[in-house]
Amino acid sequence: MNPQAKLISATSLFLGTSITISSNHWMMAWIGLEINTLAVLPLISKSHHPRAIEASTKYFLTQAAASTLLLFSSMTNAWFSGQWDITQLTHPMSCMLLTTAISIKLGLVPFHFWFPEVLQGSTMTTCLLLATVMKFPPITLFFLTSPSLNPTLLSLMAIASAALGGWMGLNQTQTRKVLAFSSIAHLGWMTIILIYNPNLTLTAFYLYTMTTSAIFFILNTTNTLKLSTMMTAWTKIPPLTTVFMLTLLSLAGLPPLTGFLPKWLIIQELTKQGLTIMATTITLLSLLGLFFYLRLAYCATITLPPNFINYTKQWQINKPTNILTTTLTTLSILLLPLSPMVFTVS
Amino acid sequence: MTMMLLNSASLRGGCCRHETLLQLLGPLLSHSKLYSSYRRPGAEPEKKTLWQNADFSFKKGFDVLKTQLSLLKEETQNHLVGPEGRPFSEYLLEQTRVLWQFRSQEDLNKWIISSDVEIGGKSEVYLKLSRNNQGALLYGTLNTEAPRDGETKYSGYCSMRAKPRLGSFRRKKYYDWSNFNSLYLRVRGDGRPWMVNIYTDPYFSHQKDDLYNYFMFTRGGPYWEEIKIPFSKFFLSSRGRVQDSQHPIWLDKISTLGFTIGDKVDGPFQLEIDFIGLLNDRAHTEEFAYEMYDKNTPV
Repeated sequence: MNPQAKLISATSLFLGTSITISSNHWMMAWIGLEINTLAVLPLISKSHHPRAIEASTKYFLTQAAASTLLLFSSMTNAWFSGQWDITQLTHPMSCMLLTTAISIKLGLVPFHFWFPEVLQGSTMTTCLLLATVMKFPPITLFFLTSPSLNPTLLSLMAIASAALGGWMGLNQTQTRKVLAFSSIAHLGWMTIILIYNPNLTLTAFYLYTMTTSAIFFILNTTNTLKLSTMMTAWTKIPPLTTVFMLTLLSLAGLPPLTGFLPKWLIIQELTKQGLTIMATTITLLSLLGLFFYLRLAYCATITLPPNFINYTKQWQINKPTNILTTTLTTLSILLLPLSPMVFTVS
Repeated sequence: MTMMLLNSASLRGGCCRHETLLQLLGPLLSHSKLYSSYRRPGAEPEKKTLWQNADFSFKKGFDVLKTQLSLLKEETQNHLVGPEGRPFSEYLLEQTRVLWQFRSQEDLNKWIISSDVEIGGKSEVYLKLSRNNQGALLYGTLNTEAPRDGETKYSGYCSMRAKPRLGSFRRKKYYDWSNFNSLYLRVRGDGRPWMVNIYTDPYFSHQKDDLYNYFMFTRGGPYWEEIKIPFSKFFLSSRGRVQDSQHPIWLDKISTLGFTIGDKVDGPFQLEIDFIGLLNDRAHTEEFAYEMYDKNTPV
């Protein structure tokens, strides 16, 4: 891509995110979200492949509709309450419209249909941006308006997201779609605790971003776009596949790894609020996710492929590993002993 | 219009009250086309409109609902088994797969044949099972005489396309061929060149004419031929025009496959197909056969 165009897209992304997360007025929040949408469109459609164009069109249509709905909800709230402050969103209809708008932006069920297709149509680096950076402003808006949101609606969407993310991810053969469904499931976890402890939503989001960025970087290094390629990816950098397995299990939420921390805290908070059935349901639904993460780990690390490879180690690697991969993988595997910090800092 | 109104006013006093409305609406109904009423020679005469054809039977609707629900149940069970209903280990281990083989009339019913009769041409095409039910025979006559309607310059094509798969509630189901990198065909042709078309059903309508094509040159002898066409050779075309910006075909969402003959030669043609399959040719390492560098960079 043209370096100037890349610079403009990157700075616009940064600008849009900063505007939204630091705004008090709904108009500024909306402006930031629109800048983000427009900035990421050239990144998705960079290759001009028909599927990439399809992905960018879908992304634009859904995000534009969501932004409009968001603006409409803030306008109705301004009509009823006379002010545009983000934290003062009080009218119930506005809250419902806002929840719908943000869930379209994030990709929560039942507005998740665009997400796997958009991720499948973009390159691995753009997928990373779409799954992490583009989720941050909407989650910030959820965080700011969390006291006034409808708990029933959010809980229903959260459980449905965890269920559908796990169910649909079961038979995917393309790695980007698998990560899309894993993102949907994790968003379910983040949303379920929003009303009761918004700080946990942000904690879960940060840890999810860290782990999923590590996964995307690893997949980018080995250029793994489908599961059959993953079987032979170990020949490229054998230690990377070991670390990949551990990072995947961290994403699944297995205990000695970092990914367990948000799930543990969320279950604890839900139980404290007396919502044990919800906690049990969402935990059981994350088992579906565990199944396909384990399957990915099996493909990548634990099993040897039946394909005939006449070398045990490729001596020449075309794509150098991103420098952040080491940091992110280490953090996403070994951060659990620091969990008491969560209680002292928050 | 005024005549209609006067007519209806006179009839209203009488007994034929229900006819007045029909008379008023008559012109509206017959002239309700949004395009011209010119019918191309060779096109079938206008059938009844969709809403006239609909059979509003409650029992039939209930039966259709039961069928679709049972299809949905089957799909859910297949989802638990693995990708596309087959176990995951099979997906990982497979290096070949047979997609379509022609052994019975049921297999033939999965394909649709068409020719330039649609635009008013004179080619003929037929599909039947060949000897001993060991393949499909696509045969006919190609006629390049253009229809005389003043706007068509070329004619003369015949094709056979696979029907797209439909899941429960008539949703589109796509093939996932990402494990493979070549198409494997066992055919016995007559020496004429054919074109293989792959349609990846797009979501938006501006891409509905996009087709990935490549040629299949048949030998014509009495012996069967095994033709391997790597997917990296397929080029992108839209409405028959080869596109300037070429892209490799993505194999994870394929809708249909088709064969077309249109080599501008009048005369009979014949193609016998035993089976159509997929192959993961490990010796084929080419990713895309056409140059993808930017052709319009300013110097």
